[in-house]
Amino acid sequence: MSDEVRIGVYVCHCGKNIGGIIDCEEVAKFASTLPGVVVSKHLLYTCSEVGQREIQEDIKKYNLNRVVIACCTPRLHEETFRRCVEKAGLNKYLLEIANIREHCSWVHLWEPEKATKKAKDLVKMAVAKARLLKPLEDIVVPVENKALVIGGGVAGIQAALDLADMGFKVYLVERAPSIGGRMAQLDKTFPTLDCSICILAPKMAEVYHHPNVEILAYSEILEISGYVGNFTVKVLKKPRYVIEDKCTACGECANVCPVIVPNEFDVGLSPRKAIYIPFAQAIPPSYLIDMDHCIKCRLCEKVCEPKAIDFNMQPEIKELKVGVIIVATGFDTVSKEELKEWGYGIYENVITTMEFERLTNAAGPTGGELVRPSDGKRPKHVVFIQCVGTRDKRTGRIYCSYYCCMETLKSAFLIKEHWPDTEITVLYMDIRAFGKGFEELYRRVREFGVRFIRAHPSEIREDKKTKNLLITFEDTLSGRLMTIEADLVILSVGAVPSEGSKELLKVTPLQTGESGFFLEAHPKLRPVDTATDGIFICGGAEGPKDIKDSVTQASAAAARAARLLVSGQVVVEGITSFLAHPEVCKSCGLCQKVCPFNAITIEELRKTPPTITLAACKGCGTCVGECPTGALDQNKFTDEQIMAQIEAALEENPEEKIIAFCCNWCSYAGADFAGVSRIQYPPNVRIIRVMCSGRVKPEFIYRALELGAGMVLWSGCHPGDCHYISGNLNAQRRYERLIKQLEKLGVDTNRVRLAWFSAAEGLQFAQAISEMVEYLKKIPREEIERTKKVISEWLKKRKKRKIAG
Amino acid sequence: MSASEQVIQLEKTDPKFVEEIIEYGSKIFGREHMETITACFQCGTCSGSCPSGRRTAYRTRLVMRKALLGLKDEVLSSEELWYCTTCYTCYERCPRGVRTTDIIRVIRNIAAKSGRMKEQHKRVARLLIRFGHAVPITDEFKEIRKALGLSELPPTVHSYPEALDEVRKLIKIMKFDQMVGYQESG
Repeated sequence: MSDEVRIGVYVCHCGKNIGGIIDCEEVAKFASTLPGVVVSKHLLYTCSEVGQREIQEDIKKYNLNRVVIACCTPRLHEETFRRCVEKAGLNKYLLEIANIREHCSWVHLWEPEKATKKAKDLVKMAVAKARLLKPLEDIVVPVENKALVIGGGVAGIQAALDLADMGFKVYLVERAPSIGGRMAQLDKTFPTLDCSICILAPKMAEVYHHPNVEILAYSEILEISGYVGNFTVKVLKKPRYVIEDKCTACGECANVCPVIVPNEFDVGLSPRKAIYIPFAQAIPPSYLIDMDHCIKCRLCEKVCEPKAIDFNMQPEIKELKVGVIIVATGFDTVSKEELKEWGYGIYENVITTMEFERLTNAAGPTGGELVRPSDGKRPKHVVFIQCVGTRDKRTGRIYCSYYCCMETLKSAFLIKEHWPDTEITVLYMDIRAFGKGFEELYRRVREFGVRFIRAHPSEIREDKKTKNLLITFEDTLSGRLMTIEADLVILSVGAVPSEGSKELLKVTPLQTGESGFFLEAHPKLRPVDTATDGIFICGGAEGPKDIKDSVTQASAAAARAARLLVSGQVVVEGITSFLAHPEVCKSCGLCQKVCPFNAITIEELRKTPPTITLAACKGCGTCVGECPTGALDQNKFTDEQIMAQIEAALEENPEEKIIAFCCNWCSYAGADFAGVSRIQYPPNVRIIRVMCSGRVKPEFIYRALELGAGMVLWSGCHPGDCHYISGNLNAQRRYERLIKQLEKLGVDTNRVRLAWFSAAEGLQFAQAISEMVEYLKKIPREEIERTKKVISEWLKKRKKRKIAG
Repeated sequence: MSASEQVIQLEKTDPKFVEEIIEYGSKIFGREHMETITACFQCGTCSGSCPSGRRTAYRTRLVMRKALLGLKDEVLSSEELWYCTTCYTCYERCPRGVRTTDIIRVIRNIAAKSGRMKEQHKRVARLLIRFGHAVPITDEFKEIRKALGLSELPPTVHSYPEALDEVRKLIKIMKFDQMVGYQESG
């Protein structure tokens, strides 16, 4: 490409949509006077075949090396026109769009002259940016066609099976000695009342025997490095002291082992030996030695016929190379410590749902007999208490634990089925029976004679003699205070993020929501993706969940992961950040800190410059906005290009203008929506599109004020809605600092505003602009002139200081 | 209660009552503290915990409910509003983080301001103005103090009559004396 800039400008009439208001011919004529423009036309429908062909022909005829199209929003047709210029041999990033429809003709329907004037400005800004555009390449990253699934509960098993069935190699890593997770511990499932282990065990066996699956049980993730398509994972395989392949699970070893400890699988309700198999259907079907309790008498070694016991077994570190990772680390239940206020751990006959599951399980410690811990007798009156540990602000967990209502209904049903004379009371705040077949079960349980009282108990006391429990509460539906004497209380305990999830947070860039569960990339449209490309979440790791939803999500995660594995490559848009001026970089680490995607690494702070993993960079530019020295820049949204837009916008009558920085996903889209809805607002605003509000630098605003801009609007997505997770929060922090500085300089800070607009808030955007214009009209000219001077002097002083420093 | 009073006509309730409570209490406890009332989901943990509710018809939950429904008159004129002992048990136990007791106190303030203070409360308040103590010392307590080796009077306004003047000054500024029907002569 020659150095000479040769721009073609095309002003689209869009039928009457633009042409009916804006004088397109005049705008095109004006564009031809701009430096670098060699051809300028107005076309009826630029996006039509005819329109596109004309551009393509012009590119060849005039040897164009930049194209500016003034038309509808780039969010609509940028891709169309990129393909168009690419076909004519021009790099697709050498295209710039001036949005004169949504941001101009449609919002200034009754002011054609002013709209035409504004359109000229918008074209001038686009041409100014276009002059500085550079060709860019999309980055193509190859994808290793193996997958890692972390967590071997039902979600992990399902995800592993799905991917393995598609033909991909899968590593399934599980912390515990056996896969199976929570579901293996349950007695029955709701609403169908299937035997839980009976439906799970075949799946466990299937994944164990699958030729494409390698199970690494009793293993932990030590380290995850790399990026989408190219993860390197270090896994610690803990020694079982029993050789998996040799163990026949005959159990002779456990028979002779003299050490007795509580059995975790039965939540401590039964004993196990120091050498043990977690449960009958465990996979891998092998014993292991619990070295924390083993007394090394070696009796087991003597009786083991296949010679499977190896006291010298060492921990092993495995390095896996995978293209995708599925996180299925499940959930735990609220810690027993926290249940003290419900009498748990103090009164013997207060138990948790998980204890109940083991007590009613035929393979459990009592052979399926429901008994009271205090005397081993069958309870006559069982009380379930709902919402224990969650939906409770005091615990910091305000979320609903999702499965507990149904679990209680199922349990109540089972008790009534086995022992119909048992009296059952459920103390609930709301019964949430929203799933398929759930309400039906609820009805059956009520018809069975289970008593439901809408109450949250305030006190539980124990009758010292009978060990019965006295519960006090208000029946909120009768407004009467009530007491109940129960001989067994079952706490319906809520879910919390698992230990495994917490451990994983230390080695992955994954984020958690307020509840502590892993955060999805988008709650509606990308529910199993995470912000880190190539890492997916499913099951209880994402939030409390029942079996069906865990399995559904697992299959979804497998399908999302398979997209990458099948295509074998990932394409990253060329709008990434880059180290433009390594000579000024101080390796301060701020860029690394604000990057929500872990795309930036600095080996050593204050020493080594940042390296940007392009495959992980999403092109938000927040690091560039944060960089205090200007060392970083963003392709297609460089500082120089944005400054050129600001300067072009403020060439004439700057005092009448509002420079607005809008983020692509929310506030720019909100402004588009104002256009689509034909909501009218004054034509004073000049919008500059950035990918994220986090890209905006205070420098841009200083420059705008120095040039005499009347006002500046810095806008982005609402907090929590940022397309790049936290870019807007960084913007807010920077804005607050900027305001302090402006205050110090005596500038009217009302002139620089920060606002959040969603893509649906066209009305709010229009109102904000109207309001700003009202304010703008009242700003005295002297004030603007004074600001220009003050800022200009301060910038000069600061520059000098920087050079000196 | 007439037949029409059996039916709550939502249009005749005061939807701004909650805001009034929040606004009033904000000056004392801060807005966030008061706004917790909107999080109430009527689980009744408060009523179940209430020592007063076990002996009376007082239901903390219902005060919250009626306040949220905008039944202003019913809340402000209810006898039960004054049955709360401000023991703060409900406040401790509320799973929604509703600042129940403080909210009750604010509602009482509003009730008192609108002239619905109980005669008994007024009497106690008048004691405060007269003696600087809601429960002034008695001869019996003086004896006990002496027996314990303490000064006959505690180091409060009882010992510093000039401080009592200050208390009265404050009360006058706030027009609290008028509110509780205190007259100079006592």
